[in-house]
Amino acid sequence: MGTPCHFALFELKPEFELDLAHLADRYRELARQVHPDRFADAGESEQRQALERSANLNEAYQTLKSPSRRARYLLAIEGHEVPLEATVQDPAFLMQQMHWREELEELHEQADLDGVAAFKSRLKQAQQGLNDDFARIWQDSERRADAERLVRRMQFLDKLTQEVRQLEERLDD
Amino acid sequence: MALLQIAEPGQTPQPHQRRLAVGIDLGTTNSLVAALRSGVTAPLADADGQVILPSVVRYHAERIEVGAQARLAAATDPFNTISSVKRLMGRGLADVKQLGDQLPYRFRQAESQMPFIETVQGAKSPVEVSAEILRALRQRAEATLGGELVGAVITVPAYFDDAQRQATKDAARLAGLSVLRLLNEPTAAAVAYGLDRQAEGVVAIYDLGGGTFDISILRLTKGVFEVLATGGDTALGGDDFDHAVADWILERAGVSGDLEPGAQRELLKIACDAKERLSDVDAVEVAYAGWSGELQRETFDALIEPMIARSLKSCRRAVRDSGVELEEITAVVMVGGSTRVPRVRSAVGQLFGREPLTDIDPDEVVAIGAAVQAETLAGNNRDGEELLLLDVIPLSLGLETMGGLMEKIIPRNTTIPVARAQDFTTYKDGQSAMMIHVLQGERELISDCRSLARFELRGIPPMVAGAAKIRVTFQVDADGLLSVSARELASGVEASIQVKPSYGLTDGEIARMLEDSFRKADEDRDARALREQLVDAQRLLEAVEAALVADGERLLSAEERVAIDSQVAELRGLLDSQDALAIERQTKRLSQITDAFAARRLDSTVKAALAGRRLNDIED
Repeated sequence: MGTPCHFALFELKPEFELDLAHLADRYRELARQVHPDRFADAGESEQRQALERSANLNEAYQTLKSPSRRARYLLAIEGHEVPLEATVQDPAFLMQQMHWREELEELHEQADLDGVAAFKSRLKQAQQGLNDDFARIWQDSERRADAERLVRRMQFLDKLTQEVRQLEERLDD
Repeated sequence: MALLQIAEPGQTPQPHQRRLAVGIDLGTTNSLVAALRSGVTAPLADADGQVILPSVVRYHAERIEVGAQARLAAATDPFNTISSVKRLMGRGLADVKQLGDQLPYRFRQAESQMPFIETVQGAKSPVEVSAEILRALRQRAEATLGGELVGAVITVPAYFDDAQRQATKDAARLAGLSVLRLLNEPTAAAVAYGLDRQAEGVVAIYDLGGGTFDISILRLTKGVFEVLATGGDTALGGDDFDHAVADWILERAGVSGDLEPGAQRELLKIACDAKERLSDVDAVEVAYAGWSGELQRETFDALIEPMIARSLKSCRRAVRDSGVELEEITAVVMVGGSTRVPRVRSAVGQLFGREPLTDIDPDEVVAIGAAVQAETLAGNNRDGEELLLLDVIPLSLGLETMGGLMEKIIPRNTTIPVARAQDFTTYKDGQSAMMIHVLQGERELISDCRSLARFELRGIPPMVAGAAKIRVTFQVDADGLLSVSARELASGVEASIQVKPSYGLTDGEIARMLEDSFRKADEDRDARALREQLVDAQRLLEAVEAALVADGERLLSAEERVAIDSQVAELRGLLDSQDALAIERQTKRLSQITDAFAARRLDSTVKAALAGRRLNDIED
């Protein structure tokens, strides 16, 4: 993981619950200081540094902004890397995944835009639910396995959100 | 120069502490250069007062013509008169063939995969043609601003891929311009609008130019312009409207078959005129090849509807990508000449549910925004509240993986600069090399994506399949340009490239072109030296003559007067000589011989002031 810690960069404590508006404000302040545009007439090495620091800042912001990436990052700095795309040992959730996918297929076949909108809002609710669960348990070292399971579920829902967007695009043709 | 200050009070020459920088809108149809002058950022005009430079280059055997004059020859000299060259930037011969009959040039495959155009001056790459346009703008700017430029911000369509951006940067290099930044056109427009209105909120920029379409969604917060999403189509623009009208005319006129390039240009011009007139009236008369008829605006609207629909689809996608709802968008800005078409305005207004803003000239707004950013980047407004532009990459970047699939490393609409790494492994025991194929695009199959570059990581120590860990790092800088490196983590073996686009120029080609342009740069330099000397000489002559009229009799003896008059005549005689050195020498001589005169005038002014009399009274 990159040093310094993403949270420290924003002068935040490593916590899951986060004020996104404050994060965005802080991001803009920091971006002002490190963006390569500020160093357009500086020497080559300064420019390269600005580029690196700016890229770091952007990466940190993207990570903290997204709940699933933030959750995964929190576990990682505690020493528990959650691999991307790992097989989910989570039979109950697997059933639910299949269910969602089938539903999406159907919406596609029927070109049901209202249905897609309803699906999206349910998806959002499900994501919120996972976020709440994670916030409750992630610091409890006894429940590490549960926390990791939640992160995998979050990642799946992110992917599903992508698929919904692709479906919207296809239906827009 | 002492004389000047007395003769023309209030017009003292500006001290040139400022670093001269300009914004350039290098458009498909038209190009502009803008700069900050006495507090106002505005496009710079040529000697005839025109700010728009048609993006047309005509190659004569001995010289090159750029702009309106060149455009006049489009129909009579089609092979040597290149227009809409932006459509060819960063493209391969195969892409260009897809554009098909729209381009009447004779193409030739060269060393690189870039299409070269046959002209009387030999084969020219699109990069060289673009460089001629940039050179003309640079010369205009240097003549107007009176000095050499430290650099330029050049705008590109937000949806330009890496190859197209690299090609633009190469063109600037050939034109002797230092690129302060490649700036996305809609972002530039947002700057021009945002600064003007002190705007806050979410803004959509709809930019329909001659050959490209861009849509960007930005959030404006306290001088920070944050691009949330961008989208578009690099092959959609007003040119397509012209072709639609041209096809309609052909059908009506009963003309079929392939047209000669000259005839095709003629027809397109008629179509374009009809389109432009239809922005103001409901119907226009059109005549072609003995046929004449009326084109109703309604018919025209129907002809262009499929293209407008395509643009609106891109808009919806960009809004979805931005994560904001349509209702959150507080302003819609229209950019590009094609947004003058009433149907375009109404369709966009309908989609966003609000009247689009058109109060800055849609042709000029991009260049103005670029000039604002150029001032910042040149370091001229360090004191004030600087604006900050946070842009994104328009298309996902990734690698080819097993099975001809594209693995995305950096998804589209990621804020730049960005660096991201991903680990890969070997798939065969003892595999010692790995091919890295860099791609850009949204589709899964690599054949649907644009191939940016290929390179090889060699010398991987023999290991069982899956044991090696190869980290590939993508880095995109603030210009949106990509570099890629790969490294085997156990052994430290490394390979990296500054992405040389598959459709870019080869090093050999660039070297040859640079050599050409250096030769041209010498000519440029000589021309500039002469122009500068002429300006100095004329300024001095005017000042001296005005001073002679005012105070010659009162302050000069007869001999002094004769001496000055003869030096004035000498300098006048040299003005047409084209001899920069002689003009410079004579200017200096005249300046020296009038020094005493200047001092006397200054004294008499002071005395007059002390005596409580106004200068006018003395002159009377």
